[in-house]
Amino acid sequence: MTVELFNQEFEGIVGQLKSYILRITASIADAEDIVHDTYIKALDKLHTFRGASSLKTWLFTIASNLAKDNLRAQKRWTENVTDITKEAALNNRQFFQEAMNIRMTSPHGQYEVKEHIAFCFTCISKSLPLEQQLCVFLKEVYEFKVSEIPTILGTTEAMVKYYLHAGRSKMINIFDGRCALINKEGVCHQCSELNGIFNPKQNTQVELMKIDLVKEAEKGDKEHLFDLRMQVLREINPFKSKASELQLYHLEHNRQVMEKYLEKTVD
Amino acid sequence: MITSTMAQNGKAATIKTTFHRETSVSIEIKADPAIVWALLTKASDYPHWNSTVTSIEGNIALGEKIKLKSILDAKRTFKLKVKEFEPEKKLAWGDGQGNRVYTITKNGSGTITFSMTEKIGGLMFPMYAKMIPSFDQSFEQFASDLKKESETIMSAK
Repeated sequence: MTVELFNQEFEGIVGQLKSYILRITASIADAEDIVHDTYIKALDKLHTFRGASSLKTWLFTIASNLAKDNLRAQKRWTENVTDITKEAALNNRQFFQEAMNIRMTSPHGQYEVKEHIAFCFTCISKSLPLEQQLCVFLKEVYEFKVSEIPTILGTTEAMVKYYLHAGRSKMINIFDGRCALINKEGVCHQCSELNGIFNPKQNTQVELMKIDLVKEAEKGDKEHLFDLRMQVLREINPFKSKASELQLYHLEHNRQVMEKYLEKTVD
Repeated sequence: MITSTMAQNGKAATIKTTFHRETSVSIEIKADPAIVWALLTKASDYPHWNSTVTSIEGNIALGEKIKLKSILDAKRTFKLKVKEFEPEKKLAWGDGQGNRVYTITKNGSGTITFSMTEKIGGLMFPMYAKMIPSFDQSFEQFASDLKKESETIMSAK
């Protein structure tokens, strides 16, 4: 493959790649650094690329390896991340002031419930064991086949199937227990609460009913609801959406809060 | 060894002697041994797939101590030590009163045979033998749950 062709194809993949790294690291800086390093490394090794896998698979392999080195050294987040970070935000007047400033002034500062659903999944997925988190994103959001993921993660197809099953089951259980969008008894209403703050003129219930995940909730098909949640993530580019600046600001806040929180917790 | 002659039909069998009781079950599973092994060794995941285990705390690895709660005796926490750990082949844990051994044997046709044996007893066994419930039903359920979960995972596309 020529450098020109590589650059051309890289441009078509880089959006998904950056989104993937952001969602597994929850760090804007890491996403930018890793995507940059992936480009440099891929260019350096371009002569070894024989097309045994697609270029997308090859680039995701390089990026996943770079990300895993960082992530293995970090503690995993906890399932109740949204409770911990909400409490921190409520005690941080500056956070809301800056968020409102972004909401009022940025062309990418809109608040949309769907964006928050994707944001929320990113945060909670960091409570999964790393391999499970990566498999869930690669398969469900970035649409790799089960047979392609072993190449990306350097494992067997059997283990990919296990990680996927375990990760998916855990996320279904967590959202089934916590998410008020799909469970009336769910303890987390954060996406609706924030809609009330950032879009005070909107009728939140009307907005919620525009979302398939919410419309289908009463049927109670947990697997289907998970698929609909994944559909929301697939449709959003966290760096380019109308809500990207507000959500990225919020994500950065949550990452900092969780890093401090995990520093204090004993293994 | 009982497992070698045991039918792979998921039916438990118990042999009783004065000082020991040994319960075994064996079942054929159409799945990669790595999947079965992953299910057997990920402590926190047990309650998701295994209806006989309420919880397992700790790390299932050689020499580690784990705390197991079972439906057989809901109020009791079994404090066990992992005594054997051969990936995708054999896992054993136990305490002073008995040992449980899990084995995975490849059959060469895309299936494995999973076997589980628990031997309890000792010199004082006759004094409390009648107080220990039968393991048969729980063993059959364990094997059935493991088969179902492993085959569900294996069939994913």
